Amino acid sequence: MTVNTFIAGRGFLYLLDARSKLLLVLLLCVMVFLPISQWGLWLLCVFAFLTAWHAMGFTQALQPLRAILFVLVLMTLFIPLTYRDGESLLVIGRFTVATVESVQNYSFLVSRFLAITYLCTLYLWSTPMADINLALRWYGLPRNAALVLTLAFRFIPFIADSFKMIKDSHALRIGEQSSRRQRLSDAIPTITAALVYALKSIPHFAMSLEHRGLGRSGGRTEYRKLKAKGGLFTQMLVSVMIPTVFWLLFNTL
Amino acid sequence: MLKVSHLSFAYERYGTLPNAQVLKEVSFSLNAGETLLVLGAPDSGKSTLARIICNLLPRFIAGSISGDLSIDGESMGQRAPWDLTDKVTLVGQNPQEQLLMTTCADEVAFPLESLGIERTLLVKRVHKALRDWGLEEMADVNPQEMSGGERKRLLLAVADAIDAPLWIMDEPFDDLDEHWRSQLLKRLLRKETAVLLFGSRYIDEFRGSFDSYAMLSDGVLTFGEEESIVLAYDKECDARFSPGVGEISIGSVHRFAGKGLEIVHPRKSVNSTPFSLQVKEFHVESGEIVALVGPNGSGKSTLSRVLCGLDPSVAGTLHIDGVAKDQIALRTQVGYLFQNPDYGIFLPTVRDELGWSLRHDSHLSKQVQEKMIHSSAELFHLDCDDNPTMMGYGAKKHLQAAVYHLLERPFLIIDELDSGVTYSAAFEIISLLRMKGAGIVIITHDRSFARNLAQRQYTIIDGEVRETEVGA
Repeated sequence: MTVNTFIAGRGFLYLLDARSKLLLVLLLCVMVFLPISQWGLWLLCVFAFLTAWHAMGFTQALQPLRAILFVLVLMTLFIPLTYRDGESLLVIGRFTVATVESVQNYSFLVSRFLAITYLCTLYLWSTPMADINLALRWYGLPRNAALVLTLAFRFIPFIADSFKMIKDSHALRIGEQSSRRQRLSDAIPTITAALVYALKSIPHFAMSLEHRGLGRSGGRTEYRKLKAKGGLFTQMLVSVMIPTVFWLLFNTL
Repeated sequence: MLKVSHLSFAYERYGTLPNAQVLKEVSFSLNAGETLLVLGAPDSGKSTLARIICNLLPRFIAGSISGDLSIDGESMGQRAPWDLTDKVTLVGQNPQEQLLMTTCADEVAFPLESLGIERTLLVKRVHKALRDWGLEEMADVNPQEMSGGERKRLLLAVADAIDAPLWIMDEPFDDLDEHWRSQLLKRLLRKETAVLLFGSRYIDEFRGSFDSYAMLSDGVLTFGEEESIVLAYDKECDARFSPGVGEISIGSVHRFAGKGLEIVHPRKSVNSTPFSLQVKEFHVESGEIVALVGPNGSGKSTLSRVLCGLDPSVAGTLHIDGVAKDQIALRTQVGYLFQNPDYGIFLPTVRDELGWSLRHDSHLSKQVQEKMIHSSAELFHLDCDDNPTMMGYGAKKHLQAAVYHLLERPFLIIDELDSGVTYSAAFEIISLLRMKGAGIVIITHDRSFARNLAQRQYTIIDGEVRETEVGA
């Protein structure tokens, strides 16, 4: 039961230590909820996207966008309708479809959502799971809690991976291209099968963990060690400076 | 070292059976450095016994147990599995169930970390184990991106790194190519550890190498001389299945061919040159059985996914009867029986699974469909009311084959059918699938299996698919 979120790539993301990178991501995530100008938020989104593109390639960089596309469509459809105040921007007949204020709110929410999605994804993509575990523990999370968290992060893609294999197997049985309605109804047994497969793997996974010694009393040693190029202090300083500069440039206070 | 006395075990629920008795009064002992081979057909209780010895059952899957089990004179009754990490190592049949970490190095390191081994020594042992099992260059690779054989080698590297005095191996030769099978056998016969090996195939390769031989059948463990055990086992397997049943009826002859194929498969977890495969020429005709062989990780499954239209190729074309086919068209003509049958199970009963394959045939009446489902279930030894997710591994492989038997695809690719079922069951499945004239590509590591079945063979050598002599 191993599915990685790590993707090998290039660029500064891979030079940063898991601890300082985590601090940077967390500070930037907090930042997007502070009073920041829209330009700042969209700039952050563009920067995150370009970083992903440079590090892992264009197709891979589009993946987070694809994953949240459905939610973005829903936001596009409903957010303008929920904010009714302000100057009318688009009117059909007597019905105001969107106001200037609703578009501004929409822009804020979408850019925040995109920024957080890309920042967190970039952290998971550019950091090996074992390093994330070590970083969490460095910040004081107990060993078992860190392990549970990293295992949970692995289990979600495991279900996704099983779903893909099951979907492939299903596609071969269907053969010809079916209608959208048929595909939707066929998705139910596929999803069920993936969930059943994932649930069935839990006892095997637990067996393997205990068979490999998880639960033993006495100290565990570590194979991996986190190494910060240029020193951890310097990297931490950079991780604090980037959000600070960002705040100074784009805050609206 | 290991002493098992009057061990009986029944699962609370096994498939559709409540209180299924899997082991009955099993008794044996194994001394340090001693090797024991236990032969048993799939679903005979080998994995159950292996897990009980490691104290994983009934801890994780409910069942009733009686009898005694001791290691080094200490009763295992109250011990937790983690207490046995440095005493017993289990190499399971399906590596996917045992792998935990996201890189090979972390996988090997995990149990050593649990044992609190000092870091310098730990790093040394991890590297040595990876080197010994040919995985040194894959230290940072995600096991999910590896082939079945590479994953099995990773499990063996884990076992080697722990270096416990007792190894329990459940079908360890499955998925391994000839080179690694011979390496494993050499390692086992060094007599540095006691070995309890459960097997159902590759018996010729095991023969003459073990200190004692036994057979597990109907929950009873019987000891005997090597010859008598092997004969009894062969007899039992032949009694269960009927190899070579059915006449082949080929209506019209079809030809599936590929030319100038180039397949690229990158690994996401490492910045390495993507794996690539060249296929100058490949073909299979109706009624023909073609073997596809090659070392672990050579790209057999990758090629199969392209042949059946699941993945694209970078260059080249695939034709059926001279007409170029795109991915969607290939899916209607070429079936692929995955190595892991769990991927092909969607519905609550065998009847539903089989019936689902017929739903596109709107011209068939309900009665005809029901009749076809029943006859297919009977051919493949299935019970229509069974729940597929609860069936044994071998039974699931039969179900997978029954599904394609009903789908009547003109070409089929069967990935490692021989893993998890006996030879006779595998022969029977292939004969049944071939009855309607399908052209079959079998992927296998077992050259004698290929020799007995295939008329032609393709071998993957250094990233290139070449036609070679069968069984070579």
